[in-house]
Amino acid sequence: MQRPSDETLIAYLDGELAGSERLAVVQALAQDDTLRAQAQRLNDSTRLIRAAYDAVLREPVPERLIAVVRAAEAETLIQHVMVRLERWRDLMGERAWWIGAPVAASLAGIVLGAGLGYFVASQQGVTLAAQQAALNGNLTAANWLDNIAGYHKLFINAGPDDRQLMDVPADGNADALRKAGQLPSDFHLPDLKPWGLSFQGARFLVVEGQPATQLFYTTDNQALGPLTVVVASSSKPDLAPTFDRRGDLNLLYWRYHGHEYALVGAADIGYLWNISKDIAWQLDAI
Amino acid sequence: MSASFNDQLVAVLPRLRRFARGLTGSAVEADDLVQAACERALARTHQFQAGTRFDSWMFRIVQTVWIDQLRARDTRKTESEDAALNVGSDESVRRVEARMALREVQAAVDTLPAEQRVALLLVTVEGLSYKEAADVAEVPVGTIMSRLARARLALLAKLESGDALRGRSDDAKTE
Repeated sequence: MQRPSDETLIAYLDGELAGSERLAVVQALAQDDTLRAQAQRLNDSTRLIRAAYDAVLREPVPERLIAVVRAAEAETLIQHVMVRLERWRDLMGERAWWIGAPVAASLAGIVLGAGLGYFVASQQGVTLAAQQAALNGNLTAANWLDNIAGYHKLFINAGPDDRQLMDVPADGNADALRKAGQLPSDFHLPDLKPWGLSFQGARFLVVEGQPATQLFYTTDNQALGPLTVVVASSSKPDLAPTFDRRGDLNLLYWRYHGHEYALVGAADIGYLWNISKDIAWQLDAI
Repeated sequence: MSASFNDQLVAVLPRLRRFARGLTGSAVEADDLVQAACERALARTHQFQAGTRFDSWMFRIVQTVWIDQLRARDTRKTESEDAALNVGSDESVRRVEARMALREVQAAVDTLPAEQRVALLLVTVEGLSYKEAADVAEVPVGTIMSRLARARLALLAKLESGDALRGRSDDAKTE
């Protein structure tokens, strides 16, 4: 029997041969001790070669690489919102457009700001937690946080006087919020007045394909600053309160019984932690 | 650009880094290479065909960028050829005389000519089939097969000259 070439033997070991070719190698291996020894050495070297590079998979991915991808997402977001602004202009007509121009201009600036915020966040603030989520293939959480941080910036830059952002005004009731926002049946508006936070209105969003309700609160307390509370549907398992950061924003989020909750603001994490406990208690969401 | 594209890209980053590390032999250069590849991929998202393997598409871009860099610098090739000529020389034998650490395996891979290294990394490390590796390298399957065989035999000779393989085999037997 003709001895198979090294090329053929390696292809056999790599599982690339089939049918008669494979059978010929199997038969040769059964009869040729030298060939078997060669096959064994090749297999051993395969394990060594793989092991030599597997450690790279366990290293954290450098922030700059994730930033490249996430910054591209921010650019896409900006383009998306600019298209929507164009649509508004078409719908509002020329006269209304001129009336609404400052609003549109501010929104454009806001969105650009938010996009840049994303970029800066990507450059500076991609956390280890986000990296880990990426490595685990669980990217949705990181995207979700990116989005709600961006929506928070949108609100901050628009300012509390920009009512066009609100789907539900400050005097709206919880029933309207529940119906429109797919909120829990026992949902009621968190009362954060003890913290000096006044409810300014709510917006309905779709974040990562899931409906979400964004509640706006403002305060004169500079240390606390404006705050948004997000309540969204989620199919993920419950999650204990978890801290994350996007740029200059702190985020505290948790999941409970099919809903995801998040606090977003520049306030110290200690403030957010205590307010989150208050909200969780009020909403029976803990 | 869809979010899923970016998600896929982030998810494949660890494997791209591993592939790039094998190509460049340097952690810093590997990350530079992956970054350049990501930027190129993001600029050409429309070229990715849905339903095809995203990782293979990215491996191809990494490889293309790397080759472009090699051509621009034209240094790596010279080093590889020189090193390849030294396989089995006294110096290389002395260097790997002691039991080979995994880092030394990487060093041995670094001595392979570029095209052999690509074939080895795609098939042996990344687990692509010969056909998939051929698509990435844009060469016939037979070419991948012969490049891979040359790479494997050269590495085997190098590893055995350093006793690493025999040492590991003995360890395995005693376990």
